[in-house]
Amino acid sequence: MNHHGVKALTMAVGTVLAVALVSAQPPASATYDRERKVTLQGPVTRIDWVNPNAFVFINVRDAAGVTTNWAVQVGNALDLERDGWKRSSLKIGDVIAVEGIPARGPRRQALATSVSLAGKRVFAPPAKRPPAPAAAPAPRWPDGQVRLGPAPGRKGYWGAASANALVESTASKVPMNEDGLLLNLADADKVAPFKPWAKAVYEQRQRELLKDDPAGRCLPAGGPRQFHTPNGFQFIEQRELGRILVLLGGGDRNWRVIHTDGRQQMPAAELVLTYYGNSVGRWEKDTLVVDSVGYNERFWFTNGGLPHTEALHLTERFSRPDLNTLRYDVTVDDPRTYTRPWTGGWTVRWVPDEDLKEYFCEDNAESTFIR
Amino acid sequence: MRRRVLPLFCLVACLALGTPAIAQEGHPLTGTWGGDWGPTATQRNHVTFVMNWDGEKVTGVINPGPDQAPLASVFLDVTNWTVRIEADAKDAGGKPVRVIAEGKLEDISSPHRRIAGTWRQGTTNGDFRITRD
Repeated sequence: MNHHGVKALTMAVGTVLAVALVSAQPPASATYDRERKVTLQGPVTRIDWVNPNAFVFINVRDAAGVTTNWAVQVGNALDLERDGWKRSSLKIGDVIAVEGIPARGPRRQALATSVSLAGKRVFAPPAKRPPAPAAAPAPRWPDGQVRLGPAPGRKGYWGAASANALVESTASKVPMNEDGLLLNLADADKVAPFKPWAKAVYEQRQRELLKDDPAGRCLPAGGPRQFHTPNGFQFIEQRELGRILVLLGGGDRNWRVIHTDGRQQMPAAELVLTYYGNSVGRWEKDTLVVDSVGYNERFWFTNGGLPHTEALHLTERFSRPDLNTLRYDVTVDDPRTYTRPWTGGWTVRWVPDEDLKEYFCEDNAESTFIR
Repeated sequence: MRRRVLPLFCLVACLALGTPAIAQEGHPLTGTWGGDWGPTATQRNHVTFVMNWDGEKVTGVINPGPDQAPLASVFLDVTNWTVRIEADAKDAGGKPVRVIAEGKLEDISSPHRRIAGTWRQGTTNGDFRITRD
């Protein structure tokens, strides 16, 4: 085989490997065992100060004198820098003590809850920020319409949501972790009015710790899940074009279009089924009401693994009672999955004077751990 | 040589890109399934199932095409993920024959989920194994 042949074959094999190495980013619940704790101590051998997850690697010597290298996940580098921990906070060779949550299975990997250097804590997960004061009114357009984005000349985006997963609003509080994993599986009936198959699928996903979440394979998620991603979102209201763009700060970091030009919703049967569906919005006083159909079945529309079918029909309501608060409510109508339409929602907090950070769905860790 | 290498490149790249199944996270039976059935390990017959959940029942066919067998009934027991599928096929002589496939749905979270179990076609007994495409 000549040079061109080798090059072409190399490209082909490279393509194969590239496909194989597009690795997953499963929910933390599937990666880490929160029922266990681990304490590690040793010198830093490597620092991967990257998005989406920064890692510090340390050599840990056990009681028998055997040294192994551990990967310690410390969080999103941009978030860490915002909270005061810099790339230079640790150096290669520093001996650190780590308290954390170990990975499931045999991997030498941990999620740090504390990192100390010479007895002084240099890292701890940031406490939840207090909600911004609600004193200021929502910004408005000259015609009085509420703005969903920043006021003219200002920056900001929508950040943390008050809920980790969608739950029917008539339910009492359903305890779950940040991935939407129920603390008590018997609460499944409170989450939504499932048809039997859907409840069985939901419970199966919960029992499997959400390990097959399509978002973990970086597939985009439509519907309510867009509004409780950890990395926020932003509205770009293009009134002259009759549409609103929703810029998504997490996942695949792309955008969704909400048509506000007065068009009618298309019959679902005539649509190409997509992850984000076909969205048509209209204003009812200060509330944006968005009707969406045409979803494919390739994603989970909320954390926690609620199933849906192509019959999914969402009615979302966005309102902004004050500058710092977005109220989000969604009615889920999927008669193939749920016994009746149901509604849930949450609030989202405004992050003033900042832009969405760069955060792409990828995993810098998996290939690192292939030894 | 270059002419031969380019198709090779395309073949390898296409195989790599085409292998993953499209995720389908809705009703676990919905989709197209391929596999085989037969009375022995060496006597096998290719089989294709196409199934769709309409909200009330699962409908579909076995071996879509001129000789397709419409599904008469599909029962999925979600407590243990067992499934019983009955279809109206025709034998080699064109006479109606009932197909009864009973199996267990495995690895339901995977796009490559499987059903394996027993197969009865008229007086012939065997087994089957299908995987969602």
